[in-house]
Amino acid sequence: MMRNDPIKHVFIWPAVLVVLAISIFPLIYSFTTSFLSYRLIPPIPPRVVWFGNYATLLQEPRFWNAIVTTTLIAFIAVGLQYVIGFGVALALNARIPGERLFRVALLLPMLLAPVAVALVARMIFNPTMGPLNQFLSMFGLANLPFLTNGHWALACIIAVEIWQWTPFIILMMLAGLQTLPEDVYEAAELENASAWQQFWGITFPMMLPISAAVVFIRLIESYKIMDTVFVMTGGGPGVDTETLTLFAYQEGFKKFNLGYTSALSFLFLIAITIIGVTYLALLRPHLEKRR
Amino acid sequence: MSGQGLTGLSSWSRRLVAVGVLAWCLITAFPLYWVVVTAFKTPPGVVGGPTYIPFVDFTPTLQPFIDLYQGIRGEFFRTFLNSTIVGLSAAAIATAIGAMAAYALVRFEFRVRFGAGLIFFLLALGGYLLFNNSLGFTRPQALLLAFPFALAAAIVANRLPLPGPILGNEDILFWFVSQRMFPPIVTAFALYLLYSEIGRLGFQLIDSFVGLTLCYVAFSLPIVVWLMRDFFEAIPIEVEEAAMVDNVPSWRIFLGIVVPMSMNGLLATFMITLAFVWNEFLFALFLTNSKWQTLPILVAGQNSQRGDEWWAISAAALVAIIPMMIMAGLLSRMMRSGLLLGAIK
Repeated sequence: MMRNDPIKHVFIWPAVLVVLAISIFPLIYSFTTSFLSYRLIPPIPPRVVWFGNYATLLQEPRFWNAIVTTTLIAFIAVGLQYVIGFGVALALNARIPGERLFRVALLLPMLLAPVAVALVARMIFNPTMGPLNQFLSMFGLANLPFLTNGHWALACIIAVEIWQWTPFIILMMLAGLQTLPEDVYEAAELENASAWQQFWGITFPMMLPISAAVVFIRLIESYKIMDTVFVMTGGGPGVDTETLTLFAYQEGFKKFNLGYTSALSFLFLIAITIIGVTYLALLRPHLEKRR
Repeated sequence: MSGQGLTGLSSWSRRLVAVGVLAWCLITAFPLYWVVVTAFKTPPGVVGGPTYIPFVDFTPTLQPFIDLYQGIRGEFFRTFLNSTIVGLSAAAIATAIGAMAAYALVRFEFRVRFGAGLIFFLLALGGYLLFNNSLGFTRPQALLLAFPFALAAAIVANRLPLPGPILGNEDILFWFVSQRMFPPIVTAFALYLLYSEIGRLGFQLIDSFVGLTLCYVAFSLPIVVWLMRDFFEAIPIEVEEAAMVDNVPSWRIFLGIVVPMSMNGLLATFMITLAFVWNEFLFALFLTNSKWQTLPILVAGQNSQRGDEWWAISAAALVAIIPMMIMAGLLSRMMRSGLLLGAIK
């Protein structure tokens, strides 16, 4: 039942006003600025260039490099997070021994500051004094260039992302698993369905809506990645691990090229929207089939 | 809640699964253990290669923490205080007004005409360009003038029979949540420019408590509204209806009945918001420079300043991590009571 009482405006307006003020202001501001050639250092008076900034950006190899890097990090990290996270959630749900102890430990990483995690990762990935180097030395793989080689650095960043955010997937999937009805499994049990068949026939399809939502959230969040990269490699070596947010930060805050940075952030917004819409469109038939 | 999905497995495969989970736990725990022991190391304990067990491999010392407290590596004490103050107030404000909005969306009916929303956006954009380009106002002045003007016009327009779809509560909720999709860099950079231009008008927002808290409140609201809506929906409406029969005003129903009944949800939401603000890096990087610097900025700075002084880096990271470790313990206790189940329906 919905009530209708003028007091509802008192309830909702504070939140709407704050979000409007902090999101619409900057949106309009940077939208209009993205059509200008506008620098603060050295100060040049704004000049309208229409799509000039966008055209320059689309021809800039560093921009495409940032897009590819960010996409690689997001898709590989989220894919592995999902596989590991779903597996651990299944195991925890099956009441394996010591399950209670695991829960606290598993929740921890996602609550920690990414910058602090990245600092710790830098120590662990240290090629001469780090514990990982010592461990790999036992297999004859000493002094690997963890953060100084482009491919290795990317892999290390992905590893840290997985370490930090798999708990989120575990948490969500576990909560989802606990809402599944039991009678379906009892019926499957009577039919002598194997655990493997039960998973693909029942668990996976029933978990699909939650999976889709969780992966969606993680993908969008991963595209914003900045702190981890900022501390671990600073985008280096060269620009090998530079993500979109980091690229925008370098352009905007180091060079104060306002028009260019605004255009960049709008392209970023468009890219995220395209990815989000495509993802939802691809999944929609699978989600609706079951209803 | 029995052993679904794994019931058909033999005891051997169950053991295999347990080993797999244990391996993941070790991977999760090792970096945490590493940072804790490293924070108590002396320089020889670090440069001589990796050491693991206190008192056996190396002699633990409290020196890194004493250095931190004395401010040898940046003003840790004040930064810690900044983070605490900003985090607590932003989380409290966001939870309060977010819970109010969530309650309104669950219990009251809202109808917003799509046309009114469009009018708001176009008038805000057009008004800004007009005030700035033709009437000679500065950019923040133009924005501040265009905003109330567009808002008032939109509210009036909402009462007119405009063509086009009518948006309901679900759409308003979607609008709130979709704010999270925004790449924060879009906002952070524009907000920095806006804040600094407002600062030139005489009202300091960059590197100030108000500016930072306002921005964090706005960015926590989507999560708060989303989480709290589920908690409120789970509350049986009969209690509220009984109160309404007795003519209790809505605000007293909310404060006196609904808020106490959803205390757990409010607490969990508050803690999640606090964790988000405590760890936030990008906005703090743009919007603070010295006085209101938060912990993540200082921690990130340790990296470039002190190349291999791992004991100092670890102690710094630990200071940023420990409050959240305590929160993880509290949250997991709540999680066990099925509290967070509702959040993902």
